[in-house]
Amino acid sequence: MKSLTLNPFPLKEATDGQPKKSSRRDFLKKSLVAGAGVVATGGLIEAYLDTSAAESGEKVKVLTTTGEIVEVDKSQIKYPRISRKESHQGIPGKKFVMVIDLARCKNARACVEGCQKAHHLPKDQEFMKVYLLQDTENTAPYWFPKPCFHCDNPLCVSVCPVGATYKRSDGIVLIDNERCIGCKFCITGCPYSTRVFAWRHYEEFDEDTQPYSPEASSPGVEGTVSKCDFCPDLIRVGKLPYCVTSCPMGVIYFGDIDEDVVTNGAETYQFSKLIRERAGYRYLEILGTRPSVYYLPPVERQFPVDRGFDGLNEEVEKRYESTPYVQKQRRK
Amino acid sequence: MNQYNPGPMKKVITIRFFWLTSLLFLISPILSAQNEAETEENEPVDTYLSFIATYTSNDTVVLTAHLFIRRERIPVDLQNAPISFTASGDGQQLTIGEVFTDSTGKARCLIPTTSLPRDKEGMVTYTADFSGTDNYFSASEVFISKPAALDVSFYEEDSIKYIRVSGIQTGSEGDDAPIANETVLLFVPTLFAPMPVGEIYLEEDGVGSMEFPMTLIGDSVGTIMIIARIDENDLFGYVKGGSSCNWAIPKHFLKQDKPTRELWTPVAPLWMIITLLILLAGVWGHYVYAVVQLIKIKQSAKKESA
Amino acid sequence: MASEKELTLLKEFTPQIEHTNIKQTVWMIFLAAVIVLGFYALYVQITEGHIVTGMRDNVVWGIYIVNFIFFMGISYAGALISGTLHLFKAEWRKPIIRIAEFITIIALLIGPCYILLCIGRLDRLYYLVIFGRIQSPITWDVIAISTDIFGCLIFLYLALLRDIAAIRDFQEIRIPKWKRKIYTFLALGYTGTPEQKERLHKATDIMAAMVIAIAVIVYSVLAWIFSVTLQPGWHSTIFGPYFVIAAVFSGCGVMIVVMWLFRKIYHLEKYITIKHFVNVGVLMLILAALFGYFTFSDYLTKWYGSERNDELLINLLFDKYYWLFILSNYIGVLLPMIVVGIKKFRTINNITISAIIVILALWVNRYLIVVPTLESPYLPIQDSRPAWIFYNSTWIEWALTAAGVAFFALAFTIGSKLIPIINVSELAESPQEEEKILE
Ligand code: SF4
Ligand code: SF4
Repeated sequence: MKSLTLNPFPLKEATDGQPKKSSRRDFLKKSLVAGAGVVATGGLIEAYLDTSAAESGEKVKVLTTTGEIVEVDKSQIKYPRISRKESHQGIPGKKFVMVIDLARCKNARACVEGCQKAHHLPKDQEFMKVYLLQDTENTAPYWFPKPCFHCDNPLCVSVCPVGATYKRSDGIVLIDNERCIGCKFCITGCPYSTRVFAWRHYEEFDEDTQPYSPEASSPGVEGTVSKCDFCPDLIRVGKLPYCVTSCPMGVIYFGDIDEDVVTNGAETYQFSKLIRERAGYRYLEILGTRPSVYYLPPVERQFPVDRGFDGLNEEVEKRYESTPYVQKQRRK
Repeated sequence: MNQYNPGPMKKVITIRFFWLTSLLFLISPILSAQNEAETEENEPVDTYLSFIATYTSNDTVVLTAHLFIRRERIPVDLQNAPISFTASGDGQQLTIGEVFTDSTGKARCLIPTTSLPRDKEGMVTYTADFSGTDNYFSASEVFISKPAALDVSFYEEDSIKYIRVSGIQTGSEGDDAPIANETVLLFVPTLFAPMPVGEIYLEEDGVGSMEFPMTLIGDSVGTIMIIARIDENDLFGYVKGGSSCNWAIPKHFLKQDKPTRELWTPVAPLWMIITLLILLAGVWGHYVYAVVQLIKIKQSAKKESA
Repeated sequence: MASEKELTLLKEFTPQIEHTNIKQTVWMIFLAAVIVLGFYALYVQITEGHIVTGMRDNVVWGIYIVNFIFFMGISYAGALISGTLHLFKAEWRKPIIRIAEFITIIALLIGPCYILLCIGRLDRLYYLVIFGRIQSPITWDVIAISTDIFGCLIFLYLALLRDIAAIRDFQEIRIPKWKRKIYTFLALGYTGTPEQKERLHKATDIMAAMVIAIAVIVYSVLAWIFSVTLQPGWHSTIFGPYFVIAAVFSGCGVMIVVMWLFRKIYHLEKYITIKHFVNVGVLMLILAALFGYFTFSDYLTKWYGSERNDELLINLLFDKYYWLFILSNYIGVLLPMIVVGIKKFRTINNITISAIIVILALWVNRYLIVVPTLESPYLPIQDSRPAWIFYNSTWIEWALTAAGVAFFALAFTIGSKLIPIINVSELAESPQEEEKILE
């Protein structure tokens, strides 16, 4: 059997350990294969298990806005960016949920870094923040990674005067940086200190040259607000958000609450069972914001809290200096 | 070194079993760290291949090769690299084809197992080969396994629902045999990753079963797919099979935690719009009245002067 | 035709309207320079981004918002004082009513500018209109403030009409032709016929009532911007009335200070007397009591229950902000009560000094409402950048604040050069009562 290959693209290194969004275009362009004996079909199982694995032909599999995986001819796709209208509606039939296992977090900050890189964030801005919390002096301190909670009753959305921040049918709360007027009301509206403002122009904002879309982790815009977006561009192609895939401890689980499944990439659990068995809870439930992010309490921990200070750079270490826990350690 | 470029060097790493491959992964950071120190700018870079063959239903096998390099120990995927696949056994060699890696560095192809060359034990030796370029060393990986298949079916007994899995290893001349004494993992495919739902032990006859977990949630009519998988097996490597039934809980049965205050929706509540309109009409009505008085003053002045 | 009385009164103000002396010119140039500095600060802020201010992700609102509340407050006070006094036909109001109206309209023009300074994308300001969402308190504010501005303009115009007509008819005054034309145009041919008088009176009555009502709404809406959020310290039902009271209170303070200044500079001792100071002072005393009462209830409930975040906030107020808290909520409340309440202290200068302190105290009070709350969010601030932890205002913000104050003064100066600072026609209306008014 002889094989015949066509490949118009040069060999190159992916710019990142994980696929970056600029490579999404390449993903859809894919390599062409033609050869006797090569069967260019995937079958249902393949399509479900690995939606990114659609490269054995000229067809490309994508998750459509209706939540189905379909094969389209790769030539049909120019910019896979989702239109503004679509990005306002969300992926039908889905309702995303995140579970964060506090028992495993050791402040490795891989989620923060992965997210910052993928979203073109300057050092000053973090969508994912890791807090060192201790509820009272006699209770245990723990590391607390905090993304946006994508509340089901989001005050940030209620107060926005121009509808620049909105909630979609799949539960994701997004910001349209081309609509936002920068009044910062949503920042004061959010009780979880989630949102960040672009106080000036940063170099990183110039990085991406593709057309803007609220859901495409486009870089920030000076004078507007941004925050964690649950990476809807990745979700649409069946991939997990960056923070989930970057975490070496598998702390963060992500999934669809209607499917009742969450996964951190390596382990997959039934969501309801996980929450029931590990006594999952939502942060500050009393505020009535109804977050889409659940926490598993830090019991039977894999690491002592102090491990979280290992290998931190000076700047990050300084953040925790004023916490009661560190103060107490100092005094000892 | 910069002026003198020796061109592509062949550096073939051939490791028999995939578990050795994983061992290589463990030590490769050390290897690459050493390489890094020695390498100068234009020196070709070491490449790494991980390669598996997965048997799926209908006598097909999916070959998946992942090509990457290491930069400061961090794996970086190589895209658009041609990977050629071959299968061999008993002195025969079959070229399968060449596939280019995608943006995640993966090349994949799907072929029927029926006409593959086999050795005496019925094993097929698959090879994935990256021939290298001026900038990258070549790499090659071998994966040896015996074609097999898993079949999932469902049955009901005394109104208890069960999942049954049967495993078959296929020989080259139709001499199929059951997969005995092996553990099969069961999964439900979901949006992001397969969710494990249990394990089944295959008895001597290659068949095993377990109760259907009634907590699973399917699509809107309760259809769900169950996948059986054997992973990292010494003999078969990876085997996968599945089928669906409609025993799961239909999706919309889940009750949402629905907020009562929905001010975040695009349209404001009616009472708010009405209140606003009443207030505005009241206030602006009075403004208009005052302005009308002013206009009348002006008019009366005109009348007078006329 | 303007009455005799009107013309004699008008004669007194002729020098101010006719020409500007050297002192006044220097004063106006100085104010203009401060405003120019403010514009330079604005230029820096627009070109370099909001990073030049002290605001950061935790304290996203700083002294701009404080100024916004402050100026809106005194504007409200002006409207309320002139509206109420008009409706209740308090005769003594006549000499000071124009000052109140000026305060209203000038502060109302400055206030909203400060909220614009907080907005990151001024180029998209019109989105507020084309994409406005009715659920957002900012939309309520946009609607309320624009309604308020219109209402106050109409009210002011109604109040000015007769004086404008009087100047038009006053032949002795030497003003350029074009100016006279403007006066003629603005006077709408008002000559004081019974019909015109009747209509003007009706319209003024209606607008006085409206202005009071709108001012309450506007100021409550402004308070709701804070109290609809879940932030500890803001999420309070008392905020609407509390803000309204605080507004009138600060407005009385400004009123007294402006009265004192004009009395001195324009030599109006004959018109603005101790009686006016005492009357406005008594109003201030009542409002001080109310303001103290609201402040006390608000902090008492927070302190008594000591919910964790309220406790943190109160600790912050009594620690880092201790002296400011004492100034705004103790001295600012007690001083006017003592000065006005005890007859011995009740002199024009004393009342004015306490008014100045009241103004300061109320500005600080707004600062203590806005900033410390944002410095103590639900999730503790864990940051290594000092600017992100505590708010430190920058010269940009202060320059723009100064520019606002300068504009207020400048607009007042110019306003008093166009229209007599005392309502001539009202005063002239009741000659036999004049003695009583000015006693
Ligand atoms: S966490 Fe804050 S920003 Fe995120 S949805 Fe909830 S209120 Fe909005
Ligand atoms: S800052 Fe932007 S997103 Fe936030 S409330 Fe204002 S306009 Fe809306």
